Formats: sequence, structure tokens, C-alpha cells
Amino acid sequence: MLRRNVRLRREYLYRKSLEGKERLLYEKKRKIKQALEEGKPIPTELRNEDAALRQEIDLEDERTAVPRSTIDDEYANATERDPKILLTTSHDPSAPLKQFVKELKFVFPNSQRMNRGGQVISEIVETCRSHDFTDLILVHEHRGVPDNIIISHLPYGPTAYFQILNVVTRHDNKDKKEMGTVSEAYPHLILNNFSTKMGERTATILKHLFPVPKPDSKRIITFANQSDYISFRHHVYRQSGGPKSIDLKEVGPRFELRLYQVKLGTVDQLEAQNEWVLPSFMNTSKKQKILGE
Amino acid sequence: MAATTTAGAEALHRLKLTEPPMYLTPSSELANLARTASEHLFTLLKPYTPKSPFDRLLVDEKFDAEQIWQQIDLQSQPLISSVRRQVNKFEKDPLEVNNMFKIGESVQEKPSEVVLAGEEEEDDEDEDEDEDGNEDEDEDEGEREIKERDAGDVGDMFFNEEEMKLMEDDEDGDYGLNKKKQVLKKTGGKFGDEDEDEDGDGDEEEEDDEDDELGLLELAGEEDDSEAEEIMYDDFYTSNKKHDQNKKPKVNKEVKDINMRDDEEHEDSDIGDEDGEEDVDEDDDDDDIVSDEETKKDNLSTHEKHLLEQRAKIEQVERENLEAKAWTMQGEVTATKRPKNSALGEDLDWERNVKPPPVITEEVSQSIEELIMKRISEGHFDDVQKVNKLPSKAPREMKELDENQSKKGLGELYADEYAQKTGLVSQALSFSDEQKKEASLLFKRLCLKLDALSHFHFTPKPVIEDMSIQTNVPALAMEEIAPLAVSDAAMLAPEEVFSGKGDIKEEAELTQTDRKRRRASKKRKFKAENAKKMAKKPRENTQTAGDGKEE
Repeated sequence: MLRRNVRLRREYLYRKSLEGKERLLYEKKRKIKQALEEGKPIPTELRNEDAALRQEIDLEDERTAVPRSTIDDEYANATERDPKILLTTSHDPSAPLKQFVKELKFVFPNSQRMNRGGQVISEIVETCRSHDFTDLILVHEHRGVPDNIIISHLPYGPTAYFQILNVVTRHDNKDKKEMGTVSEAYPHLILNNFSTKMGERTATILKHLFPVPKPDSKRIITFANQSDYISFRHHVYRQSGGPKSIDLKEVGPRFELRLYQVKLGTVDQLEAQNEWVLPSFMNTSKKQKILGE
Repeated sequence: MAATTTAGAEALHRLKLTEPPMYLTPSSELANLARTASEHLFTLLKPYTPKSPFDRLLVDEKFDAEQIWQQIDLQSQPLISSVRRQVNKFEKDPLEVNNMFKIGESVQEKPSEVVLAGEEEEDDEDEDEDEDGNEDEDEDEGEREIKERDAGDVGDMFFNEEEMKLMEDDEDGDYGLNKKKQVLKKTGGKFGDEDEDEDGDGDEEEEDDEDDELGLLELAGEEDDSEAEEIMYDDFYTSNKKHDQNKKPKVNKEVKDINMRDDEEHEDSDIGDEDGEEDVDEDDDDDDIVSDEETKKDNLSTHEKHLLEQRAKIEQVERENLEAKAWTMQGEVTATKRPKNSALGEDLDWERNVKPPPVITEEVSQSIEELIMKRISEGHFDDVQKVNKLPSKAPREMKELDENQSKKGLGELYADEYAQKTGLVSQALSFSDEQKKEASLLFKRLCLKLDALSHFHFTPKPVIEDMSIQTNVPALAMEEIAPLAVSDAAMLAPEEVFSGKGDIKEEAELTQTDRKRRRASKKRKFKAENAKKMAKKPRENTQTAGDGKEE
């Protein structure tokens, strides 16, 4: 399996290097197609390659026509299987952190919680790989308040580091009787205001933590981005009465996430390349809208 | 009035003479004395108060201490404010004072003592409450201190001069008056120990209390004789004077003394700020020098004054530059280089490059919920979409059964198959078969290449050589073994070398018509080829164009 991973990694790098050329080719084919559709003469720079390209155009279908971008390659086959998530904490967690992780277990369907004990990160990743987990989530804390969450996609996938702010846990809010149990149906997702490229990337990372839901599911999880702070909300709704009357009931914890790093490797790969790091030292970092708008 | 005044004065005198311990036990005699004394003092001050509700202090036995005190207070409040106004006026315009009081410095020492006594009385006054006896007590104390001062004894159990100096130094440091005091100190005791007192008094002088004046009145009254020579007529009876000229000279003098005291201090402070070291250094302990200073100040033009101010400012700035800078101005400062906890006192402010985290208010939550509801009603979610992957296996070919009876009989079918096998009848392969053959060939080649790439130990398939006939070897050669020496040219028969028809003419032998014929035939061939090509191309064009439209 190691060798397979290594080969897949090499393929990915090779494809990434070809991306430029493929893009050029795609552009040429697109131009020819356009000229043919409009009935205009083919542009002069493409006359020589016209015959060969025309053949390729004939053989293409929708999937192959569009050039593959290598950015979301890690998630290319993710939709084939439901995600399987492992939740752990940092070493020696406090009681509030344990509660928070318990709550998160209910938020993500198909997830399991594991005690950290004295395990090292590399051990954890090994167990995940061998048991075919797709994602690993680590939660860190500061004096009982959870302050950091690391989402790592497992087959050599990207790792996203978030800072957690303004946590309101279910335990804080109400007592047990009022809360009731959390619905465990596969939820619908709302990802609002992830408009830049980096925002799209973050959106896919968060999206693929959840499986494909049924269309009539009544559980909604929202990731709303506002000036680089992602608000997480978990609601259950019902449509009482006729149309347009929707009752939202907030369920589950509520917190803000702030992305500060994305690495192109799993958590245990320390030398992995940084895809993106929050530039806090720049003078213009106040003005930057990285994820949205 | 005269009788009461003498009685009052006598009462006051007697009060002073009593021993302090006598005050500890309540005695009606002392109380009566105190009442008369207060009444006397009250009437003394009454001319100065513009609107006094009482003609005289009502000190019958029926009135208790609180009521008497209230009466005194009622009278003294406006008095204090008027005196303060006077003092401010003189402060603003010291020249006026000069005109009014041409008294030199000789009276300065006495009034300072007097003032000191007044100050003491004030301090005590502020603390003590309504006992009448207290007033007199204070006066007694003040007088005693003055006597001690005259004796030159500094160590008093109530009052430690050095302590007071230290305290005043500290306080003046807070108010920025240190320079003034240093300057004054430099004068070399011109004003002696009383300098600090003066400055202290300068702050307190405005709160001149009734008792201050009372003290001064009485004490000054005693020293009247010594100062008689220095009092001039003009001090009292000049046209600029604002005071009522009918006032008693004693009282006037004391009032003026107080005022003069103030102005001198202000003068001194002015001098200290402006000329400071220059003028003061030159002066001796002389009255004349004081008046010299005053005249000098008068003679300075505005420009010169301006210059003096500027010089002082320059000196101050230069002094600051020579000193070491404060730690806040020193660039990078670690904790060891600044005093302890000093960073807490500073108002540190720098630009932070981070957006502050959002405060989750009700409105924010409301907006998020509205967004959610909108999305639900639209049914627009960002779920994960299931992608249909390409089928890994080729779809099985569904063989359709043709229900109709075949037209050919069974025997005929068998005959056709036999013919095909033996190769007698070469049937044109159907189009799909040809394509299939081509496809399978291509696929074989591809597989060969992939195998070569992916197998560590690649063994290429054995090449099957086709039987090919060597055409340039004559048929006989197949059967007979030609000798080695025979060349290829000899091997082949002429027909095998050249297969042509008709007369063969060389280029040179050709006639014109022949040449034309040849050219014409060449052109015909070329045209034919081109026509074929053109026929192919439009066909292709139309085909692909059709495909494009379908797409």
C-alpha cells in the first residue's frame, strides 16, 4: 500500500507538471470548436494542427473535454464511498474538551471518537490508514476551551488547520431534558460565501467530511463565511403549516472557524508543502478577503 | 464700643495667658472670656465685610458653640472671597502693589513669621471643629511658635521644620515648582528658611482665613513700634488706593502686609522664572536690591522680556537634551531597562494587522438563520454530488435474436461456409469486421507497449515472421542454387527487371507530338488525383460539421 501511495503521489505530481500544456491544448481545441460552430474560418495559427486536433475533438466526451485541474485531485474519488472520520484530541484532554469532542461526534455522521492516550501522531495515522478511514480530526484546547481543529484527509490528502473561536457547546446551553437527542440523519450542507479559489478549496475540504444525503433530510449544517471567519451552525427544521413557514431549531454546538494553514500532505508528514498560510505579517492583511467576497 | 473693645482685647489677652492644660477642663470663666474675645474680633472685622447680616456677634450664654460658629462663618465667607479677589488682582498686576506699598523688605521677615503663624492656625482650623476656645488656642500656639522661632529653636514637638521642607519639596516636585525653589535656594538664604514657607503660603495664601488676619492683627499690633519708621504716609493716602481710607491704619497695614507678602512672593516667582540666576545672584540681603529688581523689571521692554522668555525656554530645552531620554523614547527597551511595572502606566498603542474576531450578536445569528431558511425554501444545498464513474467492464454485447426465418436454406448456409474456409470465394469483409480487425491490431500493439513498461521482467513475444516472397529473385533461383559469383543483375530475367509495354523511347528520341502526348497524360493523371482528393475533403468537411452541430 505504501508503494501504491507513492505511485499515486508521483502521478499527481506528473499531472500537475503537465497541467500547463494540457491547458494550452484545451484552449486550441476550444477555439476550433467555436470556429466550427459559428461557421467561421479556423484561425490561422491553428491551421497546421487542425486535422489532428479535429480528430481528438471527435473522440472526446464531456468528461474528457474539460482539462483536469490537479487541485482537487485528492477528492476525485471521494464521492464513491461514504467518508469515515476519526475524532481525537491532544494529549491529556480536560473534561470540557472531551465533552466538545463528544458533541462533534454527533455532528459528523459516520464518525468515531478515540481516546488519545499516549499515542503519537504517526501511530494514529497508521491505524487510520489500515482501517480505511478517510479523514482524521484532531481538536486542541486552551484551559478547557477548544481553540484549534485539524482536519486531515487521509489517503495523502490535504490538511487544514483552523482556529476555533466563540464556542458555545450544547452542554453550556441547556440541560439534557430540553435538548433531547441529536438527529443522526445525513445532513444537508450550506456553504455560503466561499467565492475565491482558496474558498472553493476550503469548501471541498469541509464538504467531503459528510456523505451524500437523502433529498428529504431535515438536518442542516451551515458553514457561513463572513470576512474569513466561518460560522458553524447546526439546525433541524420542520415545515409546519403550508409553504414558506419553516421552523428552525438550533441543535448542536456553535463556533467560528478561522483557517490559518493548508498543507499538501497528511498530519504526520512534517515536511509537506504548504499550500497556503495565513499572511498575518503583511501590512495589507487586514484588507485581504481570502475565503470569500 | 470702646469699652467693649478694651474688654474684648483684655479678654483675648487673658485667654492667651492661660495655660493650655486649663482648657482641658470646662470652666465657665474661660468660656465667658472666649465669648467676649470672639465678639471683639468679630466687630473688628465687621467694617471689611460688605454685607454682614449681624451687627455684632451674638454671644449670650443661651447660644451654644455651633450657633456662634455659624455666625462667624457667615461673616467670614464673603470676606474670604473679597480678599481672594484682591490678591488675584495684585497677582496680575504687581506694579500696582509697588505703587501701593513702597515698604521695603524690612517688614518682610516679620510678616513671614506672622504668615507662618497664620498658616499654622489655618491648618489647625481646618481640622478642628466648633470649640471657641480653639481659635484662641491656635493663636496661642502660633504665638508660641513665633517666640520659639525668634529663639532660633527648630525642634518643636508639633512642628518639625525639616520635615516640612522635605514634604514641600516633594509636593512642589509634583507641581513643577522645584526649579523655582532651587532658584530661590540659590539666593543663599536671602529669604532664609522661610522660602519654602513662602511658597507653601503662596498656595494657601488665597485661603486667608479670618483667623489668619486676626492673628496678624494681634501680633502685628505688638510689633508696631519697631516698624514705625518704615511706614510712609503715601502708603496709605495715595489716590490709587481702593481701600476705604477711613479704615484703621493698624488693620490696613496688616492687610497690606498680607497683600504685600503675596506680591513679593509672586514677584520672586516671576523673577525666578525669568531672570533667575542672573539677577538673584547679584542681590544681597538688602531692601534696595529688591527695589532694584522691581525697577529693572519695569525698565525691560516687551522685546527684552520676550527675549528673556525665549532664553529661558532654550535653556530648559538644552538641559533636557543633555539628560538621558526617558525609557519610552529609547527605541527597543527590554524589561530590564525600564522601571518595574512602568509599561502598565504607559498608554501603548500600535497598529495590529489582524482583523478582530467577530462578536456574535443576536443580529448576526438572525442573519445566518434567515440565510438558512432562504436556502431551505429554495432547496439549494451544497451537498456532495455523487459522480457516475466510467464503467470498468465493457458492456456485454447483447445478441439479438432475429425471429424471422432466414431466407437461405440450411444447405446453402453450409455451402457458403465451406467456400469461405477453403478460400475459393473471397468475400468482402464487412465494414465492421474491418474496423474490428484494425482495432484489435491497435490494441495488441498498445498492450505490447504497456507490458514492456510495466513488467519488471519483460519477455517480448516471439516475432512470427510472415512468409514473404522475394520478388527480385527469379523463380528458377528458388529451385537451383546459383553460383555465388553471379550478380543480382544476372539473376533476374529482363522481364523481371522491367515490365513495360510498347516502344520505349528515350528522352532524346521523343518527337514533339510524343512529348506533348506524355505531358498531356501526366496532366490527366494529376487532375484525376486531385479530383479524388477534393472529393474526399468535402466529404470529411460535411461529416465533421454535422458532428459539430450534433455536439
